[in-house]
Amino acid sequence: MTIEARGLTKRYGEKTAVDDLTFTVRPGTVTGFLGPNGAGKSTTMRLITGLDAPTHGSVTVNGRPYDRHPAPLAEVGALLEARSVHTGRSAYKHLLALALTHGIPRARVEEVIEAVGLAGAARRRAGGFSLGMGQRLGIAAALLADPAVVVLDEPVNGLDPEGVLWIRGLLKDLAAQGRTVFVSSHLMSEMALTAEHLVVVGRGRLLADTTVAEFVRSAGRDEVSLRSPQAGRLRELLAGPGVEVASDAPGELRVRGVGAEDIGLTAAAHGVPLFELTPHRVSLEEAFMELTRDAVEYHAPAPGRTEEIAA
Amino acid sequence: MSTPSLTAPGPGGTGTGARGGAGYRVTYPRVLRSEWSKLWSLRSTWYSLAAVVVLTAGIGLAVGATFTDGGGDGPQDPVEVTLLGLNFGLLILPVLGILTTAGEWSTGTVRATMAAVPRRLPVLWAKAAALGAVSFVLMLATALATFPLAQAFLADTPIAAGLGDPGVARALVTTAAGASLITVLGVAAGALLRSIPASIGAFVGVLMVLPNVAPLLPYEWVGDAVAYTPLAAMEPLAAAHPPPDLPTVGAALVSIAVWAAAALAAAALRLRRSDV
Repeated sequence: MTIEARGLTKRYGEKTAVDDLTFTVRPGTVTGFLGPNGAGKSTTMRLITGLDAPTHGSVTVNGRPYDRHPAPLAEVGALLEARSVHTGRSAYKHLLALALTHGIPRARVEEVIEAVGLAGAARRRAGGFSLGMGQRLGIAAALLADPAVVVLDEPVNGLDPEGVLWIRGLLKDLAAQGRTVFVSSHLMSEMALTAEHLVVVGRGRLLADTTVAEFVRSAGRDEVSLRSPQAGRLRELLAGPGVEVASDAPGELRVRGVGAEDIGLTAAAHGVPLFELTPHRVSLEEAFMELTRDAVEYHAPAPGRTEEIAA
Repeated sequence: MSTPSLTAPGPGGTGTGARGGAGYRVTYPRVLRSEWSKLWSLRSTWYSLAAVVVLTAGIGLAVGATFTDGGGDGPQDPVEVTLLGLNFGLLILPVLGILTTAGEWSTGTVRATMAAVPRRLPVLWAKAAALGAVSFVLMLATALATFPLAQAFLADTPIAAGLGDPGVARALVTTAAGASLITVLGVAAGALLRSIPASIGAFVGVLMVLPNVAPLLPYEWVGDAVAYTPLAAMEPLAAAHPPPDLPTVGAALVSIAVWAAAALAAAALRLRRSDV
């Protein structure tokens, strides 16, 4: 009950959406699939479910390519792009059509509709559904055949706070039942709450394949910013193994690997004046952004520049 | 909100997909049942089919009631006259075929459909079979009802005929068969082009406009070839006594079938080869 990607590559014309991805998603835990927009997450999920064919490499689910399974919905339940529903068809008829392909009984259709909280709207045309209702319908479709592997692309998108809590609980339940749960998100904070394992991608490439705990540990390195008229000298004094010093402006430093106290003591011992010494906790979100900084597809202008434009 | 029933309590429902082994399996009959359900769960199907019946019967009756034997260049065939409204059906039915396939792409349903049936081709065959069968039955029933009603007005005209007269029953059946094949052609066009406007444009362009324009070319064979395009080939099929200058009924039926089969083959190839 695993998803195994081996050298998975997908090109659309000149553009490489997924670039030589190799990773394994294991059962019994929630694995977060993390990356900025345009990193190749959705493409990878389309490759897993056989909607797209890889240019190179392979991805298998439970040991076989998706389309080689006699009952694919019972192997992998997937929530892909939110709208995979005909706007003119009711939620019930949409799920029924999927159920009929596999011989899934109508009672099961009613069951999943009830469970995702759509019982009151199931006979209405899905075109009138809100984004959140559409997500619930997509999740009902994913769980219809009681699959061993669940793949969800940005499941909390468009959900209200109650819905977000519901998804978090659902993901943990599914994993606790021994299923393989693979969930994409562009929000590190969301993954930190639900996932135990992380596959991080940027520009289609694998950036990290690690546990959330390990990621947090490596991200937890604090940064200290300081201002000093002798910044250059202080930089030399602080240099050492495991220490990173960067400078954004003359007389300003950002230091990692040395605590604020140690910096202050070093400066005092060498008579270097300090005008400012500020420790910063690096948040998970910042650590994620740092990891993927070079891999972000679409950069917004820096905040300062936005203000210039606005002014 | 609690989620107990989402994860299927009960024997085998331990989250290992064990229920998948217990009878869940994609088969051709199941895909056909699914597509059958999908066809009838959209209002557009009901509206389109109702329009076909109303227009075919209504125009048939109107033509019958107002027929005067002017001996002009109007149709002089006892079946063709009563089924003039068929021309609307031959536009509406293939458009409905286009909607059942291209509509999957325009709404995104195709992702859910192909995730459930990743081999894909059974979906195409099922859509073609379901709508092809519906079109055949509907056209046959409509023709069988319209013909005698329209003929009730034509008792004293040269084109009076009954269901038992030579060629009449055959014409009604081949009309339904031809309409069914043209509907399948629409199903295939939608799956091939994956866009409702592009498919309808191609259908109108290739089957309606081109056959009218092409004969203007100074080559005699072009005019002969045009008679074998699907809509033109409907003419001998809908006539009790096809004029000798038209393709034979057999040749017309085969040529429409070849068009439909070729379009289905092209659609199948694209479905297999390219991402959805």
